[in-house]
Amino acid sequence: MKNDVVVSISTPLGKGAVAIVRMSGQGSLDVALKLFYCDKLQIEKVLPRFMYFGKLSLGNNVFEECLMVYFKAPFSYTGEDIVEFQIHGGVLLAQKVVERCLECGARMAEAGEYSKRAFLNGKITLDKAEAIIGEINAETEGELSSSLQVTNGKLANTVLEQQEKLTTLLAEIEVGMDYPDETEELGLKLDSLKRLQEVEDEIDEILAQSKSATYLKNGINVALVGKTNVGKSSVMNALLGEDRAIVTDIQGTTRDSITESFIHKGIKINLIDTAGIRQTDDVVESIGINKSKQTLAEADVVLFVLDGSEKESEEDREIEKLLEFSKCIYVINKSDKKRLVEKKKNEVEISALENTNISLLKDKIVNFVIDNEIDFNSLVLTNERQLQILKDARAVVEEIKQTQFLSIDILSMLVKKLWQTLGKITGNTENENIINLIFSKFCLGK
Amino acid sequence: MKNRDVESFDSIVIGAGHAGCEAALALSRTNNKTLLLTISLDAIAFLACNPSIGGTAKGQLVGEIDALGGQMGINADKTAIQIRMLNSGKGPAVQSLRAQADKNAYHVEMKKTLEEEKNLFVRQGEVVDIELDGDFKIVTTQLGQKFKAKSLVFATGVYLKSEIIIGQCREAVGPNGFKRSGTLSDSLSKLGIKLLRFKTGTPVRLHGRSVDYSKMEIQYGDDKIMPFSFMSEQSPKNKTVCYLTYTTPQTHQIIMDNLDKAPAISGEIKGIGPRYCPSIETKVVRFADKERHQLFLEPEALDTQELYLQGFSTSMPADIQQEMVHSVIGLENAEIMRDAYAIEYDCIEPTQLKPTLELKSIQGLFFAGQINGTSGYEEAAAQGLIAGINANLYNHNKDQLVLKRSDAYIGVLIDDIVTKGTNEPYRMMTSRAEYRLLLRQDNADVRLTEIGRKVGLVSDDRYKKFLAKQEMMSQIEEKLQRKVKVDEVFIKLFEENGESIPKESMKLREMMRRNNIDIFKLDNAYNLFDETEKPFLDFVNVNIKYEGYLKQQQEDVDKMLANENIFIPETFNYKGAKGLRTEAIEKLDAIRPLNLGQASRISGVSPADIAVLSVLVKKFKDENGR
Repeated sequence: MKNDVVVSISTPLGKGAVAIVRMSGQGSLDVALKLFYCDKLQIEKVLPRFMYFGKLSLGNNVFEECLMVYFKAPFSYTGEDIVEFQIHGGVLLAQKVVERCLECGARMAEAGEYSKRAFLNGKITLDKAEAIIGEINAETEGELSSSLQVTNGKLANTVLEQQEKLTTLLAEIEVGMDYPDETEELGLKLDSLKRLQEVEDEIDEILAQSKSATYLKNGINVALVGKTNVGKSSVMNALLGEDRAIVTDIQGTTRDSITESFIHKGIKINLIDTAGIRQTDDVVESIGINKSKQTLAEADVVLFVLDGSEKESEEDREIEKLLEFSKCIYVINKSDKKRLVEKKKNEVEISALENTNISLLKDKIVNFVIDNEIDFNSLVLTNERQLQILKDARAVVEEIKQTQFLSIDILSMLVKKLWQTLGKITGNTENENIINLIFSKFCLGK
Repeated sequence: MKNRDVESFDSIVIGAGHAGCEAALALSRTNNKTLLLTISLDAIAFLACNPSIGGTAKGQLVGEIDALGGQMGINADKTAIQIRMLNSGKGPAVQSLRAQADKNAYHVEMKKTLEEEKNLFVRQGEVVDIELDGDFKIVTTQLGQKFKAKSLVFATGVYLKSEIIIGQCREAVGPNGFKRSGTLSDSLSKLGIKLLRFKTGTPVRLHGRSVDYSKMEIQYGDDKIMPFSFMSEQSPKNKTVCYLTYTTPQTHQIIMDNLDKAPAISGEIKGIGPRYCPSIETKVVRFADKERHQLFLEPEALDTQELYLQGFSTSMPADIQQEMVHSVIGLENAEIMRDAYAIEYDCIEPTQLKPTLELKSIQGLFFAGQINGTSGYEEAAAQGLIAGINANLYNHNKDQLVLKRSDAYIGVLIDDIVTKGTNEPYRMMTSRAEYRLLLRQDNADVRLTEIGRKVGLVSDDRYKKFLAKQEMMSQIEEKLQRKVKVDEVFIKLFEENGESIPKESMKLREMMRRNNIDIFKLDNAYNLFDETEKPFLDFVNVNIKYEGYLKQQQEDVDKMLANENIFIPETFNYKGAKGLRTEAIEKLDAIRPLNLGQASRISGVSPADIAVLSVLVKKFKDENGR
């Protein structure tokens, strides 16, 4: 039997120097080579059970070093084509790689799916069958406990509401097709596109909130940048203050960036110091510079520290050029002295020395990435599978909007697809629900 | 009575409604000596409610019956008196043919069809009992006659312990006052078959001379008429019209004032009625904000003045019915010829059936039509055909036919009732079919003729005609492969249709990908097709214009089929299945699905249950060496 390509992280989440992302199914290698680059490697040249060193494209011109192994069916764990990526350890990076695989055509593996496939393909002996069933049930339970049915979160309700809106829309479209003569009874207004746009806006809102929720889970990565002697380390110490957390190796960021963290308003904030980033001919220094650039690219917030008592120097301006304005906060240090530096659009004046406005800066960091008040009940959608479903749903709305040749039967087919996609979160995919609504909403029949 | 007096047949069909007729024809045409027993020869293929055949989703069913070699489409074409294509502006997937049929002519035509079959013996008689005798089934009539056969098809419609209700009046009769069957359902109970009690109804019939048509809107048939049947050389003709009128606030007042007399509302009627055929009193109560309801007047037949008042089904007392009718626009002086009534009847819980329509507990017993809890002539005929096909295959010890949800509306219909059951008379709707882009009326022949041929119902004539059509299609497709230059004709075609002009020459087929260019415009511009090809252009056009969506839906089908093709052995023991949730075990054991696909559609069975089940089934098969 030919199976579609599924993907998941196959190493335990959390610690570990190496993480493995695994894909299984016919066409795994095609998906893999859409994001793995290794010196002109062509699909027909990839040898099974050889290890290839190359780079994974993570999007936005960011690449990650990676080892790739290909197992050709039937000589693999599942009995299907398998590709494994071995990457640096850490949850964020592994999740990013999974996300990229999904974008390239894989789908999230269901609970116990690898073992199930292995069993069905005759790769695991009969006595393992019960263990696999246990695996499926355990994982499903885990999923359920974090699923919508057992939470009352705001986001959860929003997803349910969107699906209900779609049920209504579908019922209206369907009834027009099943009862074409009953125009009198229906009086339908098919402002479908407008209503679908509403759904899409809500999904976008959930996705944005889920991003916030991700910050809650993993913390906000803040990079400190500025020329030497500007007071970077004193700003860092002031921020860390008594909330100083243990020194950690941040998951998902450049491997050997040693940072320190503190907690503000219940959210972990990871401070990453950067080396100098001036252009240099020195090879050793240039490696440090590249690393710093990557840190800046990966940070959620960049604190650009300036000495308020001095006019900006050439060096300051050089650094400024490297920063993305949209995630940059200007930290004007030494507010205890006379200010000479010009006013910046997004700035906080502090004095690391006298500890003034430090709390304000912390608030600013948090508010910078999390727009709204976070509803702690709404954290259910940090689950990668659910996020992916919402992204899929969004893609269907886009497909509908772009379809020009849209007769009502096609519209209904696509809306149904959208409805079923959201149904994977809400569990409501029973066609009967649409039919029930048709009969409760409309007066029909002979 | 001694055994040698029992006349023997290959199969016996009980009931000659729409299901029974198709079953009997399918059996006799596949060379089974078949007995068709009916309570009244005058009720053969009787259109007991609407004088119409087809409609949304039902039109598709008729097309499918036809493609498999059934009779309904052919006889509907012969007796149609007005034809319309519904949803013609809404895309090909949901277009359905609907015909007003001449009620008398349809009955006469079907009776004639049955009489012409050499292997078929049509006989009036009420079956009062059935017994099992080894592999044989013996039926006994009210006169004590006994007949035996290897297989039985139950197609008894709404006749089992039926009661007609009009106000306080309850009569122990079948539809339209025909004799009912008072004992057969007890015989079914005795065999351990679980029964349900359902209800339906029919509106008043009026005398045409008493209707003021000037106050109503006329509804004409289509100008361009399509036949139901692939075999109908000539399209039927429009010979009559229908009328549209409305209830008034006065109608609603009369109903509200007399609700205590309405059996459906007072609780007098206990059977479960269909939501899609509510009585007018139910509509008025449930949708109180509606100021009026639309009603259609449909002629019952050409040789009678009787009119069917669609939308006005009721079980109110006769005097109230009259008052209600007189409050409708144009019916102020209408004469009622037959009163509206509700009817309650016994049917079986359909989840006791396999997807082949054979009873799970007793081999060789097949059920089709309203006895399975469905509603509608087309739904009945479709099941009758499948039951007939499978009874024949059963007689010959061959694998039985199951149409998949992706094959036909018939597949959806049967899968729904045997997998999920139904708590009201089940009506086919296009919204029930998830692959309806693939299940169109215009491609029923492509989907099903080969299957019909395999089971022996597609005649050489039909098959030859089918192959010729296929040949024509590929001929048309081939012509569309031609590349054309960007010349004057080309530019004019693109400009006129507001399409940007490409730089290089293009295949005709490629041109059809443009929104505003279809096969007919191509034909106009390039004069591509001759008269023999023209009837098939519509079909090719849809296939090309909808190619992307058809492909998308086909991918969904392929995913579904992966589970559909994993069969669950009949001996698989759910009760001892480790790892399945108790709820899932109960549901699965009750339905005993044929395959993983059917299992996944049982309500209350989750995707995780199916994952577990797939492992258990594989283990079971490995251990039992299959």
